[in-house]
Amino acid sequence: MRALVIEDDPDLREQVTKFLSDDGFAVDVAADGDNGVYMAEEYPADIAIIDLGLPGLPGIDIIRQVRKSGRKYPILILTARDGWQTKVEGLEAGADDYLVKPFHREELIARVRALVRRVGGWTQATLNSGPYIVNTSAKSVMVDGKPVELTSYEFRVLEYLLTHAGKVISKSELTEHLYTEDEERDSNVIEVFIRRLRSKLDSDSQYNPITTLRGSGYRWDLPRA
Amino acid sequence: MGPAARLKARAARRPHLTSLRARLLISTAVVLLAFVGLGGLALEKAFESALLQAQQDKLEGLIYALLGAASTTPDGDLTIALDTIPDRRLREPMSGLQAALFNELGIMVWSSAQPLDMPPPPLLNVGQWNFQRLESSNAFRLSFGLRWIDSERREPRLYTVSVIDDTRSFDRQLAIFRHTLWIWLGGTVVALIAILLLILRWSLAPLKQLGRELHRVESGLQLEIEGSYPDELKPLTRDLNAMIVSEHNQQTRYRNALGDLAHSLKTPLAVLRGISSEPQMPLAQQNQLDEQVRRMQHIVDHQLRRAAAAGSRTLTEPILLKPLIDKLTSALTKVYTSRGVGFYNRLDPELKLRADTGDLYELFGNLLDNAAKYGDEHIRISAHSEKNVLRIDVDDDGPGFPEEPEKLLERGARADTRKPGQGIGLAAVHEIVKAYGGHLELGRSPLGGARVSIVMPVR
Repeated sequence: MRALVIEDDPDLREQVTKFLSDDGFAVDVAADGDNGVYMAEEYPADIAIIDLGLPGLPGIDIIRQVRKSGRKYPILILTARDGWQTKVEGLEAGADDYLVKPFHREELIARVRALVRRVGGWTQATLNSGPYIVNTSAKSVMVDGKPVELTSYEFRVLEYLLTHAGKVISKSELTEHLYTEDEERDSNVIEVFIRRLRSKLDSDSQYNPITTLRGSGYRWDLPRA
Repeated sequence: MGPAARLKARAARRPHLTSLRARLLISTAVVLLAFVGLGGLALEKAFESALLQAQQDKLEGLIYALLGAASTTPDGDLTIALDTIPDRRLREPMSGLQAALFNELGIMVWSSAQPLDMPPPPLLNVGQWNFQRLESSNAFRLSFGLRWIDSERREPRLYTVSVIDDTRSFDRQLAIFRHTLWIWLGGTVVALIAILLLILRWSLAPLKQLGRELHRVESGLQLEIEGSYPDELKPLTRDLNAMIVSEHNQQTRYRNALGDLAHSLKTPLAVLRGISSEPQMPLAQQNQLDEQVRRMQHIVDHQLRRAAAAGSRTLTEPILLKPLIDKLTSALTKVYTSRGVGFYNRLDPELKLRADTGDLYELFGNLLDNAAKYGDEHIRISAHSEKNVLRIDVDDDGPGFPEEPEKLLERGARADTRKPGQGIGLAAVHEIVKAYGGHLELGRSPLGGARVSIVMPVR
């Protein structure tokens, strides 16, 4: 999952970035409204976290512009003044949830996770599909009640596919949502991840959870429980 | 405290004659009554003495007439032939007018028709007049001492001639005069006081209007004193307006300063809170840091709320409630999408509340957020008017309030005692409602959960 953080305070920005990276997000950051709106419109993202009080373009305007340009990813607003008028304005402009400063790490992660899941139509923190139980907060995977060890990147691929279960996900989409602009990208790595995932999740080719569609990508094919 | 309230408080400290009108009215009435009373008495006295003088003159004329008709009897006594007197009353019995002659020994030697039953007049020297009011017999008596020298050149004799007239005519005239005089004076007093009242009302009307305007300013119905006032009051209204503006500005500055302070503190607080969740930090210190950050946060929140409440008494336009709440519910519906919360806004589309928009957002935002958080799936907002108050109910179908829900309202008072997650925002709501002179009632909702009723006075 890829997150965009637009926050002017360097300490808070660094902290939020760290929280999100620790939770498995690829994080892009912007320190002001003008950079922020560019990244929000141009970069792929699964969620944006936008502070409303920004130098340059105000947070509200970024949200409006992002929605106007047709971007649909969820937006979480950070607000310092616990003013409902600001919250309502932000939500009306197109944000999906708000978080009042100061906040706990757990609070931030829970809100972000909930918003990301919501895109795929999931409401619970554990994604259940077929014999698989994937806990997105504990980063644990069970197959038929038995735990499976996944590397961080393998888990990210699984989470992305499962969150968008039933949708075809291209290799480039996966790459874009697993890495930031600054990171080294190699779409061949994706194939490696998929292969490893298949062997770990379905060692005797019993469930076939991930379908490969030649030339277009991959799809999680088991029904949601 | 607004300017009008301060004026009222100052007035209340003086217990006597607090009203200018009463002061003016009472002092003028006292002066007027004293003037009219003394004037009336003086007029009465003047009239009485004039009347007495007239009476005396009349009797004097009569004495001259009597003396003109006097003659000596053959034995040398003086007598008066009544037939020649023009005043016929002397000849009539019971007319009240009598005449008598006394010799030098004070013995009556002649009298007109009736016998006299009164003390004899004092012996008078020749040419001396004596005018008396005889209280015992309600009569005036004019006496004149004379020396009679007859034609036969006998030894001259001293006589006293008296004319007695009863006081009936005098008293009647005086009574009529008094009656007329006091009726007219009384009428004048009444008319003058009525005119005075009108003048007072007219002159004090600007003060009354000023009071009304100040009240409206204080209630937030108008921004400043607008009416045109007499020259004497203009400096006052100008200064009052300056005071209102500076108070308004000060409130705004206070509000903004606290808002900015809170704003600038919150980001560092967020960072501190983040540090406290670092896994490498020992748990004891983590908790300590967390606790201190929470305290700071509550202090900031508390001061921010106080600032907001302090600024709420400035000019406000009535605000339509339904659309405002629709905005909040559509925003909250978005936030609580996964929970499937349904808001039912049963407010009259015309319902208005005179309050600051920000305050209303804060008030209903917190209430509806709580309802969505603790409620199950239905949240209803309804309102009805009661006598002098507007009651707005926010109902949910959750588990309801804990025992003694009023404690949730008190927590804001000591910000550092509040535990997170308990009645968050309710204290804020309470403070806002109080700032508008209303109150909160917490109870059980017909939907099964909690009901928060906002009771606002209707201005």
